[in-house]
Amino acid sequence: MSNAASPEPCCHLELGADGQVLRLRGDWTLARLPELQARLHALAIDPLQPLQLDASGLGALDSAGANHLLSHLERLGVPFPNLHLAGFSAQGLALLNLVAGRRGGVAPHSRRRGRRGLRQVVGWHAFDIARGTRSGLAFIGQTGQALGHLLRHPGLVRWRELFVQLEMVGLRALPIVMLMSYLIGVVFAYLLGIQMQKFSANHLVVDGVGIGIAREMAPLITAVLMAGRSGAAFTAHLGAMKVNQEIDAIVTLGLSPFQVLVLPRLFAIVLMLPLLTFVADVAGFVGAAHVAAWHLDIPTASFYDRLRDVLPLNTVLFGLEKTPVFAAAIALIACHSGFTVKRDARSVGLHTTATVVRSIVAVILIDAIFAVAYPEIEP
Amino acid sequence: MSDEHSARPPEGMRTLPRGDSAQRKGAQMTAPVVEVAALRTRLDGRWVHDGVSFTLRPGEIVALIGGSGSGKTVLLNQLVGLRHPDGGQVKLFGEDLARMGVEALQALRRRFGLLFQDGALFSAMRVAENVAAPLREHLPWLSAPLRDEVVDLKLALAGLPVDAACKMPSELSGGMRKRAALARALALEPELLFLDEPTSGLDPISAREFDSTLRVLVDSLGLTVLLTTHDLDSLWGLADRVIVLFEGKVIADGPVREVARIEHAWIRSYFDTRALE
Ligand SMILES: Nc1ncnc2c1ncn2[C@@H]1O[C@H](COP(=O)(O)OP(=O)(O)O)[C@@H](O)[C@H]1O
Ligand SMILES: [Mg+2]
Repeated sequence: MSNAASPEPCCHLELGADGQVLRLRGDWTLARLPELQARLHALAIDPLQPLQLDASGLGALDSAGANHLLSHLERLGVPFPNLHLAGFSAQGLALLNLVAGRRGGVAPHSRRRGRRGLRQVVGWHAFDIARGTRSGLAFIGQTGQALGHLLRHPGLVRWRELFVQLEMVGLRALPIVMLMSYLIGVVFAYLLGIQMQKFSANHLVVDGVGIGIAREMAPLITAVLMAGRSGAAFTAHLGAMKVNQEIDAIVTLGLSPFQVLVLPRLFAIVLMLPLLTFVADVAGFVGAAHVAAWHLDIPTASFYDRLRDVLPLNTVLFGLEKTPVFAAAIALIACHSGFTVKRDARSVGLHTTATVVRSIVAVILIDAIFAVAYPEIEP
Repeated sequence: MSDEHSARPPEGMRTLPRGDSAQRKGAQMTAPVVEVAALRTRLDGRWVHDGVSFTLRPGEIVALIGGSGSGKTVLLNQLVGLRHPDGGQVKLFGEDLARMGVEALQALRRRFGLLFQDGALFSAMRVAENVAAPLREHLPWLSAPLRDEVVDLKLALAGLPVDAACKMPSELSGGMRKRAALARALALEPELLFLDEPTSGLDPISAREFDSTLRVLVDSLGLTVLLTTHDLDSLWGLADRVIVLFEGKVIADGPVREVARIEHAWIRSYFDTRALE
């Protein structure tokens, strides 16, 4: 009271004849908690003496302020029933009673997950990988089972969903596949051309471009695009359905999520990836032919003539044959990942990322296996 | 119309001491917390609201009722500034939402809480982290122990059991999700709460418990509440006043007893569903 100029302290303790009086002043609100905490902790309250709370100078009081005061006093050993309350408004009393009544003993720190040691981290990851592999294998098995069922009952084909997926996976991807492959053809022909010009062997560009694009570039680029585009879409869509319990609803309706969701996507991408790859072959050749005509003085007509002579059909077919395997890997990885999303939004994002990474790795692995397994496919 | 409204100084509400019940009880005299004037909303080629007007005074619990699809949720979204009305005016604490800058609206948002129809808890955070989120955003200087203390209090006030704090929202029952969402809405000590169907999907016992929790909170924290509901028990037991929304207009506004007596086909059938029992 004496120092009216400086901001009033929020509380102070007076010792009277019949015990202690804690005088509350100013606002006891959430925004002032740190100040209240510092001030309260500085007081030497004796829990053995009677304590009176005097609110005649109290401004605003909210639940956070009331709670802080009561918990501090309780920790000191002065429970709420032992307090003598004076000068509180009816609402203030109601608030104190509410807070005192509701505050339960919350187990401290139980909410924070302890840090894991290195061994635990390694262990958890190994466990995760093992569990993931097991559930992945189970998923492939279930898909195979659903496929077998579908072959025995062809009437179960979900035509509508299949056509929707064919459009999403195939038709809508056409422009980007063509553009990418055309540009790859341009770059490839340009780089090869620089080398070949040194030996005045410009026409050999056609040989290199033909084999490179048909055998590796077009299948890989298209598959990677599909992994990023359709694989991510499958996982995000199925994951969001999982979060919304839509997959549970499908099961409850007596339908199989494999028939309704997985197989149409699997068929769509297995059918579309070879077609898209063929389109990519053509677009790549067109790009290369343009560079050949502009920079290497190879007329477009003779480019295609030579391409026909030096590019065996087998090489083109080899490039196309790999793609259904790529497609199946992408679809299985994406759908499995979507089905294993946990029921929260962040999990959808994590699983979508994982799908893209895993399916690109899978595509390149499968490609390497094909390259090693069929080395004899050479012109 | 708007000039006449904005001429009134908005400061009256803000300086009102929160702890003083005498001023709360004289609510009829003080400035309104929420003012909606001639609000119009067009959705899908249809006027969902066609001239909706009402006010909320401090300390009131007001229930907004109307059939499914009558635009209650849309109206609440407009009141909190998530949607812009196609006409009319919304004032919170005397300030016109349409005329406020982004900063001012952010500051205003600390003074009210919204409980979404399905909770809208952050699914990737534990319940305690959900409640701590507004504190972290708006009071970053609050130390972790103090923040935990406030979070524990809000969870307890909302009536959640101790072990719920470290659960994920997907592990909670419907009633606990609503309570967790209420705890988050209460985190910043709001003066005004909007609740969208707080008791829908709860069993009658949980619903009554939720109502009594709310009543106690309103009486002791000095809150003003606008809630939408289909629950006749909440209406009779909790609401001080009922606003009936029908075909885009407010067709009744008053204490439950009076509204229930109004001769209007929709209101009759609404209240008669209970009279049959
Ligand atoms: N984002 C939106 N776009 C178009 N129409 C909407 C949208 N949200 C709601 N509606 C329509 O507005 C009307 C009111 O919806 P709502 O406020 O959710 O009703 P309720 O009173 O049941 O809460 C409904 O007819 C609904 O179809
Ligand atoms: Mg609604």
